[in-house]
Parts: sequence; structure tokens; C-alpha cells
Amino acid sequence: MPTPDPEQSPCPSARSRFFRGVRLGLPIFLGYVPVGAAFGILATTQGFSALQAVLNSATALAGAGQFIGLSLMHAGASAFTVLAATTIVNLRYVLFGATLSTHLDRTPLLGQAALAFSLTDETFAVNIDDNRRGTATGLSMAGVGAIAWVGWVSGTALGATASGLIGDPYRFGVAFAMPAMFTALLVAQAEDRKHVVIAVVAAAFAVFFALVLPGKWYIVAASVVAAAVGAAVYE
Amino acid sequence: MKASYVWAVLVGMAVANYTLRFMPIAMLSRLKLPRPVERWLSFIPVSVMAALLVGEVLRPDGTWLPPLQNPYLLAAIPTALVYYKWRSFLGTTVAGIVVFLVFRTILG
Repeated sequence: MPTPDPEQSPCPSARSRFFRGVRLGLPIFLGYVPVGAAFGILATTQGFSALQAVLNSATALAGAGQFIGLSLMHAGASAFTVLAATTIVNLRYVLFGATLSTHLDRTPLLGQAALAFSLTDETFAVNIDDNRRGTATGLSMAGVGAIAWVGWVSGTALGATASGLIGDPYRFGVAFAMPAMFTALLVAQAEDRKHVVIAVVAAAFAVFFALVLPGKWYIVAASVVAAAVGAAVYE
Repeated sequence: MKASYVWAVLVGMAVANYTLRFMPIAMLSRLKLPRPVERWLSFIPVSVMAALLVGEVLRPDGTWLPPLQNPYLLAAIPTALVYYKWRSFLGTTVAGIVVFLVFRTILG
């Protein structure tokens, strides 16, 4: 690490706060490019134009929601059915938004509107961890969101236009970028005994709910129940 | 696929997703939440992280893998140690990818 860290300076400039966020979000970028490429390939082979695939990624920024939308459209579902399904898949953003809102009471509405646009599983995880350390600012969160968005959109563009050249986008081991980042974030969050206990409780519930519930519902179900256990046990 | 159908879905998905993301932040950040609710929300991040990791590692691409033949699960253990020791997200991600490639090669 040869360059001095701008976050060390007592009054970091707006620019350095933003780019601090961009650096924090680099693991997300690594993970999003190949998944975005996979989406771009799939979308264009199923009848999207390259422009439509890229615009879908740029405006929805919803990994699982976009893949599910694609498969339902391919199966000939009505536009309403597709939208209902992707909305349900993305209902977990309500929970993420509610959690983030307790940290954003001093952020102006316009800033909140900008941050909401880039709220995903991964940006939520990185920003909430940065918040816990007390180092997050509106601009650093914007940096995290920006680099995530660039990864997702550029990956989609790559897949939609150059699928023949790339081949299988997973063969470089980047399939582990997201799991690796979540592993690090989990270790970071498990700061004391009660958080370790609740992490184990949540993992157990996640396995159970993943077995009995469809799609990504296990995330919301396990989180709601495990956090309730935490709130009840640790007054 | 008809272009008008694709465009209708694209616009609808953008609006629906944004509403879902923005409404809770805009509404709840202006309220003072009751203490028990705040305490509950304080345990949400660690719970979400654990749940996300379970899905990514035990059931990659929607398929449950047996633990000892699962390169994701095996790679997660040294990855956790790397973060615990050096506290760098980017470094941990890169190290995790390398360890994962090793396990994937060994397991075939």
C-alpha cells in the first residue's frame, strides 16, 4: 500500500470521501462484472436488444429481479406478472432501507434519493459496515453505489455485445468474489459475543428457510427472526 | 419478444424497484423509531450478512452442495481468517478468489 490514505486527513475533501467509497466498493465491482455479463448474454439471446439489456441493468440494478424477469418474459408471462414477481423478489430492499434510514436522518432528501437508487444486497452490506465504524458519509456511500453501478452496467454491456469473445464469464474464479466479500463483512459485523450468537442463529434459520421458501425469501425471513431473537434476548 | 412488451417491463421494473428502495428511507428517516424497533434493526445487518453468506456458500447458483465437495464452503474458511488477520475487504476478496480457484481445481 504505497500511497497515503486520504481518509487519514482530518478534513477530507468531498472528492476524497467519494473515492474512499469507490475503493470500498471495488470488491462489489469485481463481483458484478461477471454476473452482469451473464445477464447481458442471457438477455440478448432471449430477444432483448443490447440497448434494452444495458438500460434494464442501468435503471433497475436488480440482479435476481432482472434474471427472474427475463425467465418469466421468456415463458410468455404478462408484463404485470413480471413486475409483480420482481417486486416481490426485491421486497427485501424495504428491510434494508428501514435499517439504513436510522443512519440517514441527517442526509438531505435529495441525497437519500440518490443513495436509494444504488441500494442492493452488496452496497447495503458495505455501507452498513462502514456506518458501524462511524466512517461512512453520504459521499462515501455514493462512491460505493457508483462503482457498483458501473460494474453491473459495464458487465451487462460486455455480455450483451461480446458474448462470443468472453465465453463462460465464471471461469476466472470471480464466482467467489461476492461470497468472499460477504465472509469478510460477516467477520467484521460479528464484533462481540451477542453479534456472533445472532449470526449463528441467522445462519441456522437461513438454512431452514432456504429449504422451505422459494427464491430469496430466506434472507428476509432469517433476518427478521434472528434480529427479533437478538432484540428479545439482549435488552 | 415484442419491443413494446420489453420496453413496458423495463420502465415498470425501474419505477417499481426505485419506489421500493426510496420509500422506506424517505419515510422512516424522519421518524424517531421506538427503542425496541431500533434494537431489532441493530441486529439486522449481522443477520442479513449471515443469511446472504449461507445462500452464496451452501447453495451456489441454487444447488445445495455436499460440504466436503463444496469449494465455496471450503474457501470461505481461509477467507474469514484472512479478513480477521489483515482487515482489508479488497485484499480478502482477491485472496478468497485465489483460494477458491485452488479448491475448485483440487475438487475437479
